[in-house]
Amino acid sequence: MIRIATSALVLALLGATAQAQTVNVALNADIRSTNPGVNRDDNTDAVVLHMVEGLVGYRENGAVAPLLAEKIDLSSDGLTYTFHLRKGVKFHNGAEMSSADVLWSWKRYMDAKTDWRCRPEFDGRIGLKVTEVAAPDPATFVMKLEKPSALFLDTMARTDCAMVAVLHRDSIKPDGSWDKPIGTGPFQLADWRRGEYVLLKRFDGYVSPPGDRRDGYVGSKRALVSEVKFLAIADGATVKAGLVSGALDVADIPDEEVAEMKKAGTVQVLAAPSATKHALLLQTRDPLLSDVRMRQAIASALDIDEIVGAASNGLGQVNNSAVYITSPFHDAVQKKRYAHDPARTKKLLAEAGYKGETIKLIANKRSTVPSYPVAIMAQAMLQAAGIKSEIEILEWATQLDRYSKGNFQMMSFSYSARLDPAQSYNQFTGPKDKMPSKVWDSREADALIEKATLISDEAERRAIFDQLHTMMLADAPLVFLYNQVDTAAVAKRIQGFAPWVASKPRLWEVSVAK
Amino acid sequence: MFRFALTRIGMALPTLLIVAVSVFVLIRLIPGDPAQLMLGDLATPASLADLRARLGLDQSLPAQFGIWIGNVLTGDFGQSISSQQAVLPLILQRFAVSAQIVLVAVLLASLVAVPAGVIAAWKQDSALDLGLVATATLLLSVPTFWLGLLLLLFFGLKLGWLPVVGYVSIAENPLAGVLYLVMPILTLFLHEIGVILRMARASTLEVLRLDYITHARAKGLSEGAVLWRHAFKNAFGPTWTLIGLVLGNLLGGIAVVETVFTIPGLGRLLVDAIFARDYPVIQGCMLFIAFTYVLVNLVIDLCYPVFDPRVTAQ
Repeated sequence: MIRIATSALVLALLGATAQAQTVNVALNADIRSTNPGVNRDDNTDAVVLHMVEGLVGYRENGAVAPLLAEKIDLSSDGLTYTFHLRKGVKFHNGAEMSSADVLWSWKRYMDAKTDWRCRPEFDGRIGLKVTEVAAPDPATFVMKLEKPSALFLDTMARTDCAMVAVLHRDSIKPDGSWDKPIGTGPFQLADWRRGEYVLLKRFDGYVSPPGDRRDGYVGSKRALVSEVKFLAIADGATVKAGLVSGALDVADIPDEEVAEMKKAGTVQVLAAPSATKHALLLQTRDPLLSDVRMRQAIASALDIDEIVGAASNGLGQVNNSAVYITSPFHDAVQKKRYAHDPARTKKLLAEAGYKGETIKLIANKRSTVPSYPVAIMAQAMLQAAGIKSEIEILEWATQLDRYSKGNFQMMSFSYSARLDPAQSYNQFTGPKDKMPSKVWDSREADALIEKATLISDEAERRAIFDQLHTMMLADAPLVFLYNQVDTAAVAKRIQGFAPWVASKPRLWEVSVAK
Repeated sequence: MFRFALTRIGMALPTLLIVAVSVFVLIRLIPGDPAQLMLGDLATPASLADLRARLGLDQSLPAQFGIWIGNVLTGDFGQSISSQQAVLPLILQRFAVSAQIVLVAVLLASLVAVPAGVIAAWKQDSALDLGLVATATLLLSVPTFWLGLLLLLFFGLKLGWLPVVGYVSIAENPLAGVLYLVMPILTLFLHEIGVILRMARASTLEVLRLDYITHARAKGLSEGAVLWRHAFKNAFGPTWTLIGLVLGNLLGGIAVVETVFTIPGLGRLLVDAIFARDYPVIQGCMLFIAFTYVLVNLVIDLCYPVFDPRVTAQ
């Protein structure tokens, strides 16, 4: 009786009836800002991309498709992209979107004062350069490039670039500072309590892209619930308690919690591989590891199936490729992998003249990545194969500092998701003299990656990525282990939620069971 | 008393300056770059250089310190690197949340633990004394995060009486706000009972052994009068000092409790800032915590004459 009375009081006080149509989603930290692509991190992108949209977006399999554009024409010289905009798309303030808004948004992003995270990606400093933009009529937007690029649309769709979101100019205060996102997304900002939560409410004037089902960031994007609340909860135990009690509807959970959450019976556990790559990095400039035979000996010493099985609690699948496992480019060649071969390790160690030197393996204990368990297992396997190694546990900021300076021998590291293979290779390939964080220092690989950024033909690109993979396996500058499997615990009352390759929650096309 | 207070605050200025310099230097000695952390593995030399310049991290350390301390003297604690909010309002907002938990918990703990400690001393070596001391030791030994999780499981999950995640400000919704604060307050309350009870018992025991207590009893005063009028007043000084220290400690450091109960307080702000290498927030928090510590202890000192007339604020 007391319990019923108290529960009723709690529910009444918290307005639980009003919350029936609110989906509560846990984030491991608060968002940094609401300014798309400016002051951001993964959580920020995930929330903001419910409110804003770009001309193009990722599909479920990571391919790029029109979003605010209806179709895209490419000139025969590969330099001019013409975006034909969808008609009738409205901003959260009711204004209809036109090419003038696209132009205004682009100019704002490319203004140094905006501090857009992706400006160097489009101004020629990294390679791609947009030389001209124009809005010849309200439904057409044109962008001209300095030279052809196969990565242009992929870069436009990148989530860390906020999809180059089209904003209404009222998003900016009269003094030019950021106010709030007035975009075209299915949800709009209702409230942001820093350190607590972000509340989004359904945008009733939303015009969904065509499609009969959700497809990544494109396809059907109807907001079926009235509110979504993203709560910042740093502690994993509290998240579990929230899921079990019903206070939370959706939360990412670590792989090791999957069995327990399934057993709890109050939630459904959903999993999907993402494009995040877990790897063991080998410093090719280290006196010991500069010998490719040493690196190959290490790769052969690792029983990667066992590492992946244990680190992902049986959910992950071995992938030694830089191309994520569900990518359209992940073909038979990309499936080639290192073999666990202790006899080969022994032979290579002898050839390399290994004298029992100790290799330091750096790892961190963040709960969101398997850096530590991977390091523990790798160390045990290296020891068993006769390679001495020590683990050095560092806090994440310190590890990132060592990574950026190339100051390590071995490192258990995770690369964030890159959907285009050329972007993925770019993450770790390049001259170490200029960028010490690069792991693979190969001019031949650089040239191939450069070629893959220029040509658009899928078959040609596939051939290049296959060649890169074969070269990478031979050079062994790093050992990719597997792609992160995103596991989400979802309340049974929630329907339609699904994790996907971009590792970000999507709350459109999600409903609450009556 | 006013002069005494001013002198004490004046004496704290060198302490605050030392805190400012040491925090500024120490946090920069730890490896890790806020710009690199914000960009992660996506950083390129160009984007890193842009961001470092924007954050002012490309300037020399003495120049950075000069700018920061100059601004602090004018009341401007700078802007958070990660959230880009002004640091001082952010600290004050988070401090208000922590302070309501800490003040209520310490007040309640004192109201329970001080009389309990006095009674334990009065009934020394009895079953009651043993029970109180054992309970105090147990409460003192249990880590707050574990105690918090136990309460969360029991009241939040098993009984379903209290909300397990989230926070509602009392100013916004008093009843709901109280519900969210019950478990964090209870956690700290239980932990601090152990600390305060042991001190109250020890200092009362010391006083009960003094000659004037024997004299009071010989005069025929009742045990109650001896205990509360003569023993308690003299024994309370050390406990009062301890309460001040406890308050000073907790006002800047309940990050663990705040993390377990998702409370947006000062401790969590500081811990998050350390992980993000958010230098202005770390420096601002540490300076603020040091100042709070000084202020709380000053207030404690100024209250001494209330309990012990021999002590004056001169």
